[in-house]
Amino acid sequence: MTVFHFFNCAILTFGPHAVYYSATPLSEYDTLGTCIKAALVYLGTALVKLVCLATFLKVSENESFDPYQELLKALIGFVDVAGLYFALTQLTHRNISQNHKFQAVGLGWAFADSVLHRLAPLWVGARGLEFTWDYILQGLEANANLVLSISLAALGSLMWLRKNKPKTLIPIIYLCAGIVATMPSITSYLRRGLGWHLPKVVGFELFTSLVMAFISWQLFAACQRPSA
Amino acid sequence: MELKGGGTVYRQCQVLESMYSMIALVFILVTCVELGDAAAVVDVYRLIQYDISGVPFGSRLATLNHPAASMHFSPAADLSRTVLMIPVRELNITFVREYIAQRRPLGGLLFFLPQMLNFAKIGSKTGSYQIYEMELLKTVLGELERLVIHANIPYPVYFAFEDDDINAVLADVKKNDATGQPTTATTGGYKLVVSAPEPKKVASPTIMNIQGWLSGLEADGDTNQLPTIAIVASYDTFGAAPALSVGSDSNGSGIVALLEIARLFSLLYSNPKTRGRYNLLFGLTSAGPYNYNGTHKWLRSFDQRLRESIDYAVCLNSIGAWDNKLWIHVSKPPENAYIKQIFEGFSNVAQELGFEVNLKHKKINISNPRVAWEHEQFSRLRVTAATLSELSVAPELLESTGGLSDNRPFVNDTAIIRSIKLVAESIARHIYGHQGKNIQIFADESSLAVNPSYVNAWLDILSRTPRVAPFLLKNDPLVMALKKELADHTDQVNVQHEVLDGMFTFYDSTKAKLNIYQVASVTFDLLLLLVLGSYLIVLFSFLAITTKGLDDLISLFRRPPSRKMKTA
Repeated sequence: MTVFHFFNCAILTFGPHAVYYSATPLSEYDTLGTCIKAALVYLGTALVKLVCLATFLKVSENESFDPYQELLKALIGFVDVAGLYFALTQLTHRNISQNHKFQAVGLGWAFADSVLHRLAPLWVGARGLEFTWDYILQGLEANANLVLSISLAALGSLMWLRKNKPKTLIPIIYLCAGIVATMPSITSYLRRGLGWHLPKVVGFELFTSLVMAFISWQLFAACQRPSA
Repeated sequence: MELKGGGTVYRQCQVLESMYSMIALVFILVTCVELGDAAAVVDVYRLIQYDISGVPFGSRLATLNHPAASMHFSPAADLSRTVLMIPVRELNITFVREYIAQRRPLGGLLFFLPQMLNFAKIGSKTGSYQIYEMELLKTVLGELERLVIHANIPYPVYFAFEDDDINAVLADVKKNDATGQPTTATTGGYKLVVSAPEPKKVASPTIMNIQGWLSGLEADGDTNQLPTIAIVASYDTFGAAPALSVGSDSNGSGIVALLEIARLFSLLYSNPKTRGRYNLLFGLTSAGPYNYNGTHKWLRSFDQRLRESIDYAVCLNSIGAWDNKLWIHVSKPPENAYIKQIFEGFSNVAQELGFEVNLKHKKINISNPRVAWEHEQFSRLRVTAATLSELSVAPELLESTGGLSDNRPFVNDTAIIRSIKLVAESIARHIYGHQGKNIQIFADESSLAVNPSYVNAWLDILSRTPRVAPFLLKNDPLVMALKKELADHTDQVNVQHEVLDGMFTFYDSTKAKLNIYQVASVTFDLLLLLVLGSYLIVLFSFLAITTKGLDDLISLFRRPPSRKMKTA
């Protein structure tokens, strides 16, 4: 029965990634290699980030919100952006369109993130006897994260790969990318600085991820128009 | 108590998030496995498990893993895999008796005792209880204890103390039961888990008798020529839950009285002018509930001369909860000169102190192994002895031995102090030859007055220390403390280690941790699966339509049959 619950939570956490891959043209153009490469880059980035965190951050005993530490954490969080940049520009992808490239990178990125952060607690916790909503919420969080990762990859590809984009949109693109990149710090602030409970935080994440996805989509479409 | 295990896991997730690493992942894997994530973890105390001559009694199981139900369960429900949670204040004793007597199948029983009886938090909340309620509670507990001790129960039975978490869980369980659904795997609710090892026999339980000797002033040479007065109390207990059997009255009150009497006489005997011409022998004996087996062994270890030098022995048993009447139990007829002398000494002093002492004679049947009073062990060896007790009739085997209901709130300090005065004064008059004279040796406000704070302190300690003999350690802190206390007041102290013989066999695992899990039902998980499935299907359709168009999606479902058509 509890294995059943684990199974449910796993579906919620990892299912959307698979669905996204198979439902979109990604599967038709065989972009799995790109996804895997992006995931490997994520692993490398995570390692670099860990080293940075271990070097620059004090271990706080209490769970209080320390602005200086959080700022540092947010800065280190931008290592993610660098990793994404590497994945988007430096990797030699097979000849796939930009359109599919950023989706594949975002998907691989989000999947690696989910596996790293959510699989172990899920395996250990969701199979226990005690029922909590935590793992379902965590699954929803993974969904929001997927949307955010793809949005960030889309914005990244706009920033770094597309040369002829309307000048007026450039600051908006950068602003949005900044917001999406700082999302982990924002949720961390909400959780610890304001003491929000998990359901509220997850709701906020879902909402903002949808909003950001919509904005990125619009931006992408706007950049697409002149070339078309 | 560990609260909301979900919180710890959640915190674990946060740690993970901030570490962003695989190393953290491995670390979490290691730590999470150790962390229990139960809604509540409660200390529970198991019903005693023992055999009398191979006949099993008490609860025969320790492990528990069943859903919980309250007393409001639906009558049609099958309870063979259900734990009944019963707060003692709502206990329906006839129901439990019926269940146990008819040996109906149950997953387990869990009794909740009021917080008032929790000796770890003594004196915290007794004020809110009416005397009437306390008396009622005491009767109910006594009845319950008698019932479960003498029954052979094939499922685990545990006792725990009520607290806010428990009450919340209980309210929830009751609400579930009220809706008429039996708690099974399909409806969710709470699951109670105790993972305890299989109870093992306690191999050759040792009993320890503590003896203190206060020698009198010798007239010419040999001390052993002086007569001896023995003051004896058995110190161990027996009850439904060994880890809760603190026995404040039986026989905590007796121990306290004995220690205080030893202290008073040590004051008198420290000065050669007031040192009496009697030796005083103080004995704290073990195995009291088991026919005073410890007393028997202790007396057997004496040499003949010492035994013959004992003028009389006073045994103290349950003297902490009486109002105006005490009993002296003897096994020689009241016409006996020695008995007469002792009784007159006691009743004179009692009269002066303003209460009554009555004599009760009960013959010993040598062929009957049952020894109801401690003095009977003396009488069997032809030593004059009497038991001072508030009980008017001899208790049955394993009764009035300091069980569940015998707790600090039910014991009255002043009753113990009056008993101490009675015994000390009577013995002192006997020693100094003041029989019949109205002289108060241990008068209040004098340097020889009974010290109420000493009595109170010792009573508190004893009321917090379970002391069922087979479960005491070889060098148990309690025994060491009693030994040290006696050593402070007497000349010579020794502890005698003996093996408890006879028909009793005990089993361990008296304490355990109960995990209360809130579990989701299978129905909930099925529903969740349905919701998730439809969510993924909708997501798939949405993505496919937006990126490939509706026709593609439809063709996706049409393709296989068309292919079949081609091959055919």
